[in-house]
Amino acid sequence: MIAHDLPPEAYAAALAALPIGPPKLARLLRDCPPEEAWARAGDRRTDVAEGWRACVEAGFAVHILGRPGYPEVLASDHEAPAVLFSAGDLGALEGPRVAIVGSRRCTRYGRDVAHELGHDLASVGVRVVSGLALGVDGSAHRGALAAGGGAAPPVAVVGSGLDIVYPRAHRRLWAQVAEAGVVLSEASIGGRPEAWRFPARNRILAALADVVVVVESRAQGGSRHTVAAADERGVKVMAVPGPVRSPLSAYTNDLLASGAAPVRDVVDVLVALHLEGRGPQLPKKPGAPTEPADPAEAAVLDALGWQPASLEQVVTRTGMSAVDASVTLAHLEVAGWVVGGAGWWERQGPPGGTAK
Amino acid sequence: MLATIPSATLLGVDGRPVVVEVHVSNGLPCFSVVGLPDTACRESRDRVRAAVLSSGLNWQLRRITVNLAPSGVRKSGVGLDLPIAVAVLVATGELDAEVVAGMAFLGELGLDGGLRRVPGVVPLVDAMSAATVVVPLDCAAEAGLVGRHQIRAARDLRQLVACLKEEERWPAPPGLRMPPPKPAPDLAEIRGQEVGRTAVEVAAAGGHHLLLTGPPGAGKTMLARRLPGLLPPLAHDDALAATRVHSAAGLPLPYGLVNRPPFRAPHHGASLVSLIGGGSSWLRPGEVSLAHAGVLFLDEMGEFQTTALDSLRQPLEEGVVRLCRAQATASFPARFLLVGATNPCPCGRADPQGTCRCSELSRARYARRFSGPLLDRFDLRVVVSRPDVDELLWGRSGETTAAVAERVADARRRAHERGVRGNAELPATRLDEVAPLTPAGSALLEHKLRTNGLSARGLHRVRRVARTLADLAGAGTVVGEDHICLALGLRAEPRLGEEAA
Repeated sequence: MIAHDLPPEAYAAALAALPIGPPKLARLLRDCPPEEAWARAGDRRTDVAEGWRACVEAGFAVHILGRPGYPEVLASDHEAPAVLFSAGDLGALEGPRVAIVGSRRCTRYGRDVAHELGHDLASVGVRVVSGLALGVDGSAHRGALAAGGGAAPPVAVVGSGLDIVYPRAHRRLWAQVAEAGVVLSEASIGGRPEAWRFPARNRILAALADVVVVVESRAQGGSRHTVAAADERGVKVMAVPGPVRSPLSAYTNDLLASGAAPVRDVVDVLVALHLEGRGPQLPKKPGAPTEPADPAEAAVLDALGWQPASLEQVVTRTGMSAVDASVTLAHLEVAGWVVGGAGWWERQGPPGGTAK
Repeated sequence: MLATIPSATLLGVDGRPVVVEVHVSNGLPCFSVVGLPDTACRESRDRVRAAVLSSGLNWQLRRITVNLAPSGVRKSGVGLDLPIAVAVLVATGELDAEVVAGMAFLGELGLDGGLRRVPGVVPLVDAMSAATVVVPLDCAAEAGLVGRHQIRAARDLRQLVACLKEEERWPAPPGLRMPPPKPAPDLAEIRGQEVGRTAVEVAAAGGHHLLLTGPPGAGKTMLARRLPGLLPPLAHDDALAATRVHSAAGLPLPYGLVNRPPFRAPHHGASLVSLIGGGSSWLRPGEVSLAHAGVLFLDEMGEFQTTALDSLRQPLEEGVVRLCRAQATASFPARFLLVGATNPCPCGRADPQGTCRCSELSRARYARRFSGPLLDRFDLRVVVSRPDVDELLWGRSGETTAAVAERVADARRRAHERGVRGNAELPATRLDEVAPLTPAGSALLEHKLRTNGLSARGLHRVRRVARTLADLAGAGTVVGEDHICLALGLRAEPRLGEEAA
């Protein structure tokens, strides 16, 4: 039974829910209009009208490749999703876009750098594109949102259906991004976050971005897929340098060794975007001291390095007593030099930076 | 022809007096036991008859009825074999009633007439009011621990009857073996691990529960095993309570009173009943009670059943386990120092340095095993990391157990002056009185509270630990900022297996 008052998008949305991969879906929709494709491949038991109503009620828009309303930046891509779902305002895509990607389990360093880059890029009008995953992705978006209402809107590409928030811990962030910018997905409504979705999602990230910045990633991390997709499309890849001994910087350091440009701060990214002129618009950071005045505090900070350390390790490295070391760490924490949690101490940028 | 012999039966860790009554009359030969005996108790008929015959005594083919009074209380175990046998012998005229006057009996019989050890001798003997208690030779030393009775012991039924008839002299009970228990491993053997050592010392001094988190091979177990050595010897009432529990569980008591804090380390396969105690008829004390006044060490805590772990909450809070069954209710003492050791995640490498290879799901599942309320009971939560190679090979070895135990004893003394066994028991309402803060210390705590680094309950726990740290350092009444800082440092937030989003 075909209800003739349904728009083509309704059939496209129903087709996207079929258990077929993006290439097959693209082939189906290339040959004929969605109604016909549904009649050919569709599942008679599925109620197209009901799915469409759910989609409309939730406020999700459906875009079909090659039809009006499909984002232009993706339309030209050779692996463009045939059907794209969006929550929020697609206008957020207009303007320079930088993808910030990295490990889900990053260190505080990675979290801070991602936050700072997200904040600074959004402040000068660059769209931050990321995947709303734990770790680097989430921090980049938090940074972009922290830049305030006047800043560039954030863009997210997720691996699950728009109504399936994954990871669940990011429920609020997800809603904030959809509110301020746009969340995109090629998975249909109700689509589970299956493992294969994420590498596929990463190609959309790369296709959207003018520059891809990898903040932290281990040698076998998922960022490899984004970088490979970016290379395929000639999108510039940049990497944030990290300690050579940190497993989480193994891949970024590899990228640097093979010729990727390093990212030290937002200016490096702006140069790559040929937007150097926007740098000076950045709010000046307060002239914070780069080292605490107290020699004991400086020694502990030095012993901490830029990797998390337990109290035990600080004691071993400084030769202080446990009491002295914990007093010094507490002072450093109050002053904002370090962050403690779950038994680990981590150094963060100088007090007064943008990092949370 | 009637005879009565006093004895006792075990319920939990308490003895209940029992009177064994035997009536012999004419009629069809039979031998029955009434008065709510359990299976082991009812089977004593066969043992008693065989033992009497094997001992060369006469078994009369008459109607023999045994009643275990009070009849409404369930009798369990095999300790009533001997009183039944003696009562039968008296009732059938083999023994004069006068020779057993004022005597209570306790023991299991072998088919050859030998007397065997029974569990729970200490509480059983304690429950008897007779002036003289006759027990198997193996239990004589244990029975003597109660100290109120004259203890007589015999090897077998034949010898017992001969002694009662004054044909032989009572054998001398073997004395307690006196070699001191093997000394606990020494703290000086641990190189480095200054924070871990401090945590163990504080746990011993204040009675603070301790959770050690760290990768395999970091030395968690090594640290925990050195904790009992730091604890002071048990006070007399604690020693008595611990001895009763150990006796009731049937553990050997080769050195008499349990006067060193016990150390119990059940395997993580332990069932709920083995941890808490129970069983359908006997109500055996569990590991938490065996660790009474000592240390309960749960190695690989994340591998225990969740229900078993959560069942620890009541004893942790109240210091007793109350077991209710349809037939009986028993309460066991269970005031112990809990030491947990766990990996941070299944692969054991979940530090923020990012070497962990576990999936998010397996980490989350691992973390769920530790319920929030249980984690909250730990005043001390310490991350133990693998020692550096240099530290391991050439590190200076730390203080010896003896030196630290002295400080611990001193801190415990101070706690006693405040009216508690350890600072962990200090009520929150008394903290301002016994552990006032310096301005810097309270400013730091305020900062922590405001930045959500600390809950209200956490605040009290930190202050108690800081009190113990100050006691160990010999500081005065006021608790300084330094001790607050270290107390905070020793109480890592419980974030096992999870990641800060």
